Amino acid sequence: MAVSASPLVINATGVCKDVTTADTQLNILQDINLKIESGESVALVGVSGAGKSTLMTLLAGLDVPTKGNIELLGQDITSLDDEARAALRSDAISFVFQSFLLIPTLTALENVMLPNIIKGQAQKPSRAKELLQQVGLTGREQHTPSQLSGGEQQRVALARAFMSQPQILFADEPTGNLDQQTAATIIELLFALNEQHGTTLVLVTHDHQLAQRCHRTVRVAGGKLVIA
Amino acid sequence: MKQAQSSPTLNIGFVSKWNWREIRHGQLWPITAATTLIIACVFALAALVIRVESVMTAQGRDTLAADLVLKSGHPISEDIARTSALQQLTLSQSINFRTMAFVGDNMQLVSVKAKDSLYPLRGQLRLAGAQQKQQLEAGEVWLQTRLLDLLETKVGDTISLGDADFVISGVIAQDPELSFNPFSQMPTVLMHLSDAEKTGAIQPGGRLTYQWYFTGADDALTTLKQSHSLGPSQRWLDQNSQSRTGDFINRAQQYLSLTLIMVILMSGATIVLTSQHFAASRQQSVAMMKSLGASKKWLAYWLVMQVAALFVLALAAGLSLGLLLEWALRLPIQDMLPSPLPNIGFQPALVAVAVALFVLLPAMAIAILNILATPATSLSQSSQVHKAPLYLRLTIGLVPFAALMFWFGDNRFMWLTLVGIAVMLLMLGALGLLIVKLLKNLTFGPAMTLAVSRMARSIGATSSQLAALTCSLMLLAVIWLLRSDVLADWQSTLPANAPNVFAANIDPHLKQDYVDFLDQAQIDHSAAYPVIRGRITHSNQSLLSENPDINQDSALKRELNFTWQQDLPDQNQVVAGTWMPSSGVSVERNIANRLNIQLGDQLRFEVNSIGINATVTSIRTVEWRNMKPNFYFIFSPDLLADLPSTWLLSFRLTEQQDGIVTQLARQFATVTLLDLRAAATQIQGMLQQIALSLTVLAGLGVLSGLLLVVTLLRLSLNQRQQEIKLYRTLGASRKRISATLWSEYGLLAILAGLMAVVGAELVIALVMHFGFELPMQWHPGLWLALPVLAMAAVFTIIRTMIKGLLRPITA
Repeated sequence: MAVSASPLVINATGVCKDVTTADTQLNILQDINLKIESGESVALVGVSGAGKSTLMTLLAGLDVPTKGNIELLGQDITSLDDEARAALRSDAISFVFQSFLLIPTLTALENVMLPNIIKGQAQKPSRAKELLQQVGLTGREQHTPSQLSGGEQQRVALARAFMSQPQILFADEPTGNLDQQTAATIIELLFALNEQHGTTLVLVTHDHQLAQRCHRTVRVAGGKLVIA
Repeated sequence: MKQAQSSPTLNIGFVSKWNWREIRHGQLWPITAATTLIIACVFALAALVIRVESVMTAQGRDTLAADLVLKSGHPISEDIARTSALQQLTLSQSINFRTMAFVGDNMQLVSVKAKDSLYPLRGQLRLAGAQQKQQLEAGEVWLQTRLLDLLETKVGDTISLGDADFVISGVIAQDPELSFNPFSQMPTVLMHLSDAEKTGAIQPGGRLTYQWYFTGADDALTTLKQSHSLGPSQRWLDQNSQSRTGDFINRAQQYLSLTLIMVILMSGATIVLTSQHFAASRQQSVAMMKSLGASKKWLAYWLVMQVAALFVLALAAGLSLGLLLEWALRLPIQDMLPSPLPNIGFQPALVAVAVALFVLLPAMAIAILNILATPATSLSQSSQVHKAPLYLRLTIGLVPFAALMFWFGDNRFMWLTLVGIAVMLLMLGALGLLIVKLLKNLTFGPAMTLAVSRMARSIGATSSQLAALTCSLMLLAVIWLLRSDVLADWQSTLPANAPNVFAANIDPHLKQDYVDFLDQAQIDHSAAYPVIRGRITHSNQSLLSENPDINQDSALKRELNFTWQQDLPDQNQVVAGTWMPSSGVSVERNIANRLNIQLGDQLRFEVNSIGINATVTSIRTVEWRNMKPNFYFIFSPDLLADLPSTWLLSFRLTEQQDGIVTQLARQFATVTLLDLRAAATQIQGMLQQIALSLTVLAGLGVLSGLLLVVTLLRLSLNQRQQEIKLYRTLGASRKRISATLWSEYGLLAILAGLMAVVGAELVIALVMHFGFELPMQWHPGLWLALPVLAMAAVFTIIRTMIKGLLRPITA
């Protein structure tokens, strides 16, 4: 499904990623070329070990490629150091993880406010409460992760992801740890919030149904891209 | 696009709240508890040492009648008086000499002590019948009771001392200088210094002893000592010169520092183990925060704030606990402590904080560096543990060792202990593995078989767990048992019924009557010893006073007390040679070393101008602390029994038996009675206080050992959590999982308990022998107590953790 010409937020050219283990060198990704436009939603699919999560970490600036270039929001991440990439993420990128990754000693509300706390900005509790309300957790603000179910924890993670008003949201198997019904709710919320905030979405998933809801599906197989 | 740099700005209120939760819920409380223990123990010990030293100093100075005394055979230079005045010290002068005293037809050789009005600068001089301390005025002459009896005189009579006559104005009830000298044969007269000239005894060439007494600030006393170089007949006396309790205190201090090292070691191990777990448990959160854009600076700030909060909490708790301990330890000896109480100052707190920082900071620094080394990509990749570079971790790890080097420097005893512990850890780990391998070949029930095979499979984990558990159990046993053994030794040398009165100068014909009197009054007494005064002159035909290496030894400059005995006295131990062939002398080990006397040497003594030759047939150790008559030289009866002697014995009186003292003084007027009841009560009081301190510190040592054991087990079970949850998810029954855990950890506990017993017995034997020079002994109770304690710890931990462990893996 094509989208009208919008500015590119991700432009990966000739990207390779090698990993050296004790005795061998693994070519995880080979010659990846991928362009993602602003507002687009892209699903990265593929079997386990195909390299889709590694591709996501490169596109999000969590790591740098062994070869090739990645322009993220107009910046060549291979020319940025760790700290500069962290600053870039802090400003414009959010994540949703399979294992939720909430801080166990913070309440739901505080977990949502965490991106602002990290940036040293005003905590904006009213905005965090509004996001929690949007994910259906009104009244659960003061609960800690251990007092929430898996689905509820992922909803907190979703609220956290939109707290910093990101330009791009990366979601790595966001429903992988959830039962079918809960997963469906989370997917609805994810796409609703994405639409509402006009965010670019990069989704790593095994789930074909989920992939089909995206504008575009990109298959990763044996470290290479196969356009679906 | 805008480049927002993540800032390390943190909302202090929010972060404090967060840190508190992290400490409470996030595995940080064992680190906090261990740090608290270190601070409390170091603080209490340092404060205790200061207090005990102040008691010792005050007591020693009271006996000395001053803070510092200069004793001289010749007049003392006035320069010293000027330096003393410059240093703002108080100076009191005295001259001691011997002269004949006459009252009517009676005469007696007496020791005259001519003091100025300032004497004594410390301690109490009291007249019989007076309640308050008094000082001498010109024209006054005070006598010992014994002298009144010997001269058949009373207060108000005239006494002639040398060329002058004086009116006896008082009877000495208490003189600080007389407290600890049971052998002073000569009765004493006290007079004012200004009257000494009149006696005609102050002549050039006369045998005079000049004593100058000083009090004032310690610095000023040191300056005075350094400004004056001693002449051949001069020496300084301070509180350490005549301390009977010094040996007890030394052992107590040695024990306290050993306990302290073990507390620090065990708490340090707790901190290191827990901080590693802390690092592992924070890595995912940190990776997540990195993905959200947190900079390393921000994360470092966040983690450092946590450690800082933890340290502040431990500091507050540790210092409060330390102050409380110090206060509790001080209560029972309130009366013995000098008033006003010497200020303990900031030193104990500073030392406590420094020690805690040296242990906590490196451990936490390594943990924080490991956490920060976690890349954000670890969220989507394998969950391997990330670590900071090895060189960095090693460098930081060396910090506590550098501190140890600085602290202990050349203390061989401490280094031996530390190296011993390290070697033992390795050996115990290996031994444990060997036992597990042997057990693997035996047949057990299914749970035990699984447990044994699991332990045998993960060799590294099993051996390190076993060694750590054994070591902590061993250390806590050592701390507790050493305390008991040291206390038992004190109890045997200074039991509650230790003698506190000496009777000296008993005429041979009165000896039996004296002993009968005590027996009839049902008073416990020591054996009676003949005392013969004499000097040692030659060793193997050479004159000792001509040997430049030893001719300054005080034993050569005065008459010594000799005795003869058929049987070896109690608490004397022959360490070389045999007891007691004829024509032999047995020499106490320390004086033998000082005078370079060997077994088989031919010694020559002079007693009443008669030369006596004796062969050294044995070297003895003597328990000097037991308040019984003790001797440097004991001769075989054939050498001395025919010479004129007096007799000496000691016995025990209660505070209420003043009547007996009076009765004895009246019935045996020529016998010198030295009543040490007050001093002995004081020594025993102090020992009780130190014993209490040892017990409290040992208690803290055991507590830190238990904390380490609990931490070890919790961490080990935590590491097994995923595996156990998997079993549960797969449907294993609670009973089955409990049985497996019980078998594995029970076996671990029993093995560690038994090996710890062996290790503890070994360590205690070595420390008692080489460190405290006390006899070794077995501790049968330990063989049961330690494995049971280990099992109880395992039982408690499994009981508290099993519920969490059995929760199946959920989405």
